[in-house]
Order: sequence, then structure tokens, then C-alpha cells
Amino acid sequence: MAFPHRPGLLPAEVAFLCEMELVTIIPRQRLDRLDLLGGPTNALIPPQRATLPLWLALLLKRQRRINVLPPPWLDPENLREILELETTHFGESFTPAPALPALDVDPLQARREKSRSGLTSGVGGVVAPRLTDAEGRSLYLSPPFVASCTADAAPNALPYHYLEFSQLLLDAAPDDLQQPDTISNLLRDIREVRQAKMRRGYEAITDGSEGVNLDGVGAMEVSESRGFITDVMGGLRMIGASREAARREREQEERESGARRGAGRAYDGDEEDEDMS
Amino acid sequence: MSYYDVDAILTDAQKVPCTFEIDVPGLGYLDGNPGGTVKAGTKLDLPLWLGVMLAVSSGNNSGSQPLVTLDFPAPLQQRVINALKADPNSVDLRAQAPHFYALGARILDLFEDDEMVDVLTDTFRTRAAKIADHAHNARGPLTDGVDFLRGLDESERVVFKSAHEGPKSVKNWSQDVKKTNT
Repeated sequence: MAFPHRPGLLPAEVAFLCEMELVTIIPRQRLDRLDLLGGPTNALIPPQRATLPLWLALLLKRQRRINVLPPPWLDPENLREILELETTHFGESFTPAPALPALDVDPLQARREKSRSGLTSGVGGVVAPRLTDAEGRSLYLSPPFVASCTADAAPNALPYHYLEFSQLLLDAAPDDLQQPDTISNLLRDIREVRQAKMRRGYEAITDGSEGVNLDGVGAMEVSESRGFITDVMGGLRMIGASREAARREREQEERESGARRGAGRAYDGDEEDEDMS
Repeated sequence: MSYYDVDAILTDAQKVPCTFEIDVPGLGYLDGNPGGTVKAGTKLDLPLWLGVMLAVSSGNNSGSQPLVTLDFPAPLQQRVINALKADPNSVDLRAQAPHFYALGARILDLFEDDEMVDVLTDTFRTRAAKIADHAHNARGPLTDGVDFLRGLDESERVVFKSAHEGPKSVKNWSQDVKKTNT
């Protein structure tokens, strides 16, 4: 039997990927360096902060060996600000994800954008030095390699894994968060606002050819809506298949007649066409 | 569509009206007249796969007229198309054909009809938005809109299911997380 699941990640798989996010912790006990596949961790020495992958942090938290230092966006005040942004400033689109550290942003442009949208740093703000890989090409990081859940993450932007991350942290380490109940209420509000936007996005894919802007959508939200969106697109494609085939045929004919006309002048043109097909 | 796709097989099994262009001896059993001859001009409902085969083949000598001519099947006739144009949500597509859109796509492969492509696309779009609403409805689909949901065709049911499963599996996951921590 074929693989029983549809394409796309299940929520549990999304959460598994989320556990690769780095978090800042404050150890309560000493722990030597661990050689993990993803590289060695720092030795944990009590009052010093350290960053660990979320899965390890959750494990040690359950054993009461560490305290988690939640990222700044997981704070009632900042969540309230995000909710405000989500409802008023970005009425149609989703609030943008935190700026990627490697983005080669022109500082002038960034400042202009900032003054236009009236936002403080964080959202499209901080300009980091350009990252390069071993061969000197510029390198763009994406989650989970962006430290978007550590203590120095942007305070007013929701990272890619915000939903899973906050859920896992709320369940495993509520005592390390300020007012966990308020946080979970605010998160629920944010989620509802975003779900309503997704719902409007459904209308957009169904009422025209404009498409939906899904910038800033979280991993779990993608996992949630993927089935519906792909099914609708598949259905529309099935219905329009005959028209699409007719269009292809027409284009092919045009290209062939064009090639025939061109063949009189230069023989090369014909050869190029064959390469492309 | 895969060879073993049950939906594709069922789509091909739907009947389309065919008119025989020539006399065919021995095919009378299709018309309830075993051993007899099907006369030219006889109208018969044949399964799509058979009708298409007979309509595109032209016997042994090429260039002669095809054996049968196809007509639009009842679910795609002007009456239904007009109703869909008026209000896509009020039409019971399932009563028309369980695989309405698949049938439409097959027929549109054979007949070029831009207007019908437009109508079907619009219908699917409008209904998909409504399906999403019903699938996300916390009160469950049974309280209202039962008639609408009963009238979904097979591919719309798939859409409904996936629109329903997505949020449900996220919810299940978050409950699982809570369970493992308590």
C-alpha cells in the first residue's frame, strides 16, 4: 500500500522540526559538553546562559535541571503588541516574520520602510552583516537555523514555528513564563485573527486569479490549510484542463509556424526549439 | 488520473446519450432487442468509455463517418448550466452526477465549450468557499446546511474532508502535547 498520508507535514512532524529551534536557558546544574549530531553543545555552568535545541531543553526542564528563558515575543506585553499589529496594521496580510539575519538589506531602504510603516526595530529593521558560506557566496538562513526563539530574538514578530513553540513551552515550562494564562489567551486571540485571515485567503484563491499572499504564515498554519488549498487548486486545474490543453496546442502551433517561417532565414532557430522541448 | 483510480472508473461508467449514425447488426442487445440490429438514428445511453470509443473511431476505413455521435449528458445540459449560473450553491450536484466535475472535465476534453469551463470553474470556486465555512464550523456540519452538504459531488467531498481534517489534526496534536505533560 502506498504511503497513507497526503503530501505535507503532519502537525506532529511540524512540532518535531520545531524542536530543532534553539532556546536560551539558565542551567541549574553543571552539565558537560554533549556531542550531538548538530554539533557540540556548550558546557552548562549554572548562572551562565546557554542556548540549547528545544528538545534537549524540554528534556532537561522536565528533569528540573534548567530554567528556560522565553524569547521576548512570548511575553504578554509583546504579544499584545503583536495582536495589535495583526488586527490594525496588517488588516489584510499576516504580520511579517522576523527579519532574516542574513538578508542583505540596504540600510537606507530599511530606514525608509521603517518610517513609512511606523514600526520599531525588529520587523524588517535590524540589519545584520551579510553571511557568506565557505566559498564566499552569500548565504540565507531560514528556520530552524535562524535563532528566532532565543532570548535575543525580535520582540514584535512571530517566528515561523511560533504556534508549536509556544504550545510546547506553555505545556512544559509554564513556571518560566510570565503569566502563562494571559499568554495562552493572547496566543489564542492571535491565532483566531490569523485564522480569519486565512479564511479570507480561501476566498481569494477561489474568486480570482490574484493569488494569496502567505508571507509570515507559520509552519503549523501551513500544515493546517495545505490539504484544502491543494485540493481546491487540483479541482480547478482538473476543470480547466481542457482549456489548458487547447491553449498549449495553440501555442505549440504558433511556435511551429513561427519556426517554419524562421527556418527559411536561419537553420539554428529550429535546433534551439528542439532543445527546449 | 491513475488506471486504478476508483473515481476515474466510476466517472467513465456514467451514461452519455449517443446517436447511432449507421446500422450495426448484432448490437441490438444494447437496446433491449437481443440479436437484432441497431438502426441508424437510434438514441441510446451508453457508458462514457464506450460512447467515446465509438464516437472517435470510424470503423475500418478512415475518413468515413463515426459510428455514433455524442451529446451532452443530462448533468451538463443547458438547464443545469443555467441553474449553476444563477446560483451555484443551490444546485444539488450529487443528484446530477456523483462525479459531476470529473464528468464535466471528460466531456470538455471532447467538446470545446469555453462558456461551460467558465461556469464549472466559477461553480467550483464559489462552492469551495462555502465548503470551507461548513468544514470549519465548530457546531459541526449537521446543524445547518445539511442539504448543501448532501449535494456535494465526490471531489467536493474530498475538499470538505481535507478542510475539516487540517484544523482537527492540529487540535489533536495540541491535546496530545498536553496529555504527555500531565
